[in-house]
Amino acid sequence: MSRRTERRGIHVDQSDLLCKKGCGYYGNAAWQGLCSKCWREEYQQVRQKQIQDDWALAEKLQREEEAAYASIQGAQSQSHSAAATSQQPQAHASLTPFSKFEEKKTNEKTRKVTTVKKFFSPSSRTAAKKESQEGKTPSPSIGRDAGFDTDQVSKDFMDFLKNLQKPGRDIHKQCRAFLISLSNKKHDLGADELSECVQDFYQNLADRLIGHFKVSSESVEQVMDQVEKYIMTRLYKSVFCPETTDDEKKDLATQNRIRALHWVTIQMLCVSFDEEIPEVSENVVKAITDIIEMDSKRVPRDKLGCITRCSKHIFSAIRITKKEPASADDFLPALIYIVLKANPPRLQSNIQYITRFCIPSRLMTGEDGYYFTNLCCAAAFIEKLDAQSLNLSPEEFERYMSGQASSRFSSSNGDVTDSASGSDAMPSNPVLVQLNRNLDMLSDLSTRQEALNEAAAKLQADLLSWTENVKREVNDILERYPLQVPSRTVSAIDTNNIENNLPPPLTPEVFAG
Amino acid sequence: MSGMRVDVKVVMLGKESVGKTSLVERYVHHRFLVGPYQNTIGAAFVAKQIQVGEKCITLGIWDTAGSERYEAMSRMYYRGARAAVVCYDLTDKRSFERASFWVKELKTNEELCQIYLCGTKKDLIANDRHLRQIDYHDAQDFAEEIGAQHFETSSKTGNNIDELFQKIGEDYMSSEMELMPAEEPGVDLNQKKNSYFYSCCLSN
Repeated sequence: MSRRTERRGIHVDQSDLLCKKGCGYYGNAAWQGLCSKCWREEYQQVRQKQIQDDWALAEKLQREEEAAYASIQGAQSQSHSAAATSQQPQAHASLTPFSKFEEKKTNEKTRKVTTVKKFFSPSSRTAAKKESQEGKTPSPSIGRDAGFDTDQVSKDFMDFLKNLQKPGRDIHKQCRAFLISLSNKKHDLGADELSECVQDFYQNLADRLIGHFKVSSESVEQVMDQVEKYIMTRLYKSVFCPETTDDEKKDLATQNRIRALHWVTIQMLCVSFDEEIPEVSENVVKAITDIIEMDSKRVPRDKLGCITRCSKHIFSAIRITKKEPASADDFLPALIYIVLKANPPRLQSNIQYITRFCIPSRLMTGEDGYYFTNLCCAAAFIEKLDAQSLNLSPEEFERYMSGQASSRFSSSNGDVTDSASGSDAMPSNPVLVQLNRNLDMLSDLSTRQEALNEAAAKLQADLLSWTENVKREVNDILERYPLQVPSRTVSAIDTNNIENNLPPPLTPEVFAG
Repeated sequence: MSGMRVDVKVVMLGKESVGKTSLVERYVHHRFLVGPYQNTIGAAFVAKQIQVGEKCITLGIWDTAGSERYEAMSRMYYRGARAAVVCYDLTDKRSFERASFWVKELKTNEELCQIYLCGTKKDLIANDRHLRQIDYHDAQDFAEEIGAQHFETSSKTGNNIDELFQKIGEDYMSSEMELMPAEEPGVDLNQKKNSYFYSCCLSN
């Protein structure tokens, strides 16, 4: 989507219009910049793979669920065997059309694959097909939404229900029936109607547990948490930021709005953070991380958990700064500041999703509900933010918004007066202070490096000239004091020996033989 | 009969520094902190369990930012609240005017919400009568006119504070009784296991 909006610009390069594959035809943004032919080829490949993956996953999930269900059944098989038989053929039916994919796959998978194949033996196929038309193949659409963690979630759900015995089986049945009915009609429903369906389901299930099974309200809450987790993990992809709403547009608007407000400072919002204190800035970073993390969660409750964690970090940051516990008067501006800094992805979509699909009591009461309300307020405040809400004059606000004035030091600013005043004044942003400090340090380092290089070169030269010098000196000395080998004088002793006492040298005697 | 869990949303409204947070702090922790930052003590959300008759209910007390710049958002806070403590400073006429603003808002938007008009900092005027700017009877008349309860409290001495919140609990219970007849206690699904790990103060 974002790609499309970018392309809406006035200046369009000719090359942008052509197919990305370079086949010479014109491309289309809807086909990711490819021409129709290239797109079809590309898409077919990706799609084929996707379908195969989905099926393998759906199948695996189905088996696990049935196995878990069967084990519940096994414990009390006497009364509920009928339910089991009505469920199992359905499962087989849903898998039938995809048996071919499964067969295509190489047999590197072991036992599991073979058992699946058994399901699709020719004898069972005809019967199963008939049923698949009646059953409207419910599980594929459920399975398609499954992600890597869905298996785990449904397994946990089964384990949880096992402990509940009779009500547990009922809950399982209700949830499955609900998911199936919703997957059949979800394409015709708007977001609000979907929300209504889910909320009605929560309400009916809770009422049924209390009315029919006489479950205590505390246990109901526990059960509802699990049910929410199970259902929303399954539904997430189809109901988060659905195409029928303008959530996505709002997300982009908020994102751009927050970008445009990059100049808002702590002082303007009256936030009591002192980011010079390392602990405070640490908490601020953690809060930002948490609020960004919200987008990655699927279950409304987990998303709320992120908001609560973020809020707790904000509270610690305020407490450290002011050395007092914080109140709502400190908290809300701080949260606004964090949201402005974090620019959390798909903020509006997330808020809408939580509002639509969270168990309502959690939003109305309790800590999570409180912090969520604050986040909604922060989002609303940012949307409506004007000069008055920052204690600025309308002119000042305009100048900030148009980028003429800047609360931060920026060397790239083209405005002459601004950059001049900016470099004179101490930059207020701690990051920029740090940046400048680092730059100073770098330039200092580079001068020192140069000095070092010079010194090294000098040392090298010195070393060379030193050897030269030594050589020259040695030569000088050699020249000055040439080596005089004194002529050999025979000592007195030797002469005596030769002339007088020594016997004549031995001469070889020849024996005539 | 602790099996039933009841949550009541109580929202604190009032101008900045009228002492909303001090009120909550005094009620929940039985303390009053003095210092330069008196308007910032306490936490923003607290849950407090109280006993009303035989029942145990949990008050979830929502503190709100009183600054005028967040006025447009205040509706989000009091949505679904069963009780609203609208605070004003007995020594500050402006705060009373602001209080009547919230009263009007609540009256139009939240019919189910019971209003408790609460004059704070009573200890200040106990020392010096001239500091009082809002007459007790004026406030009382106003409260009757809008069908609200009226209290004058001091977070410093704790005067009238427990009474205020106890009254909130009692009013809630009696209104609930009217709405629905007493129901049978439910059966705990997890009786064999220890299932009470949902404490009232931690509902996450």
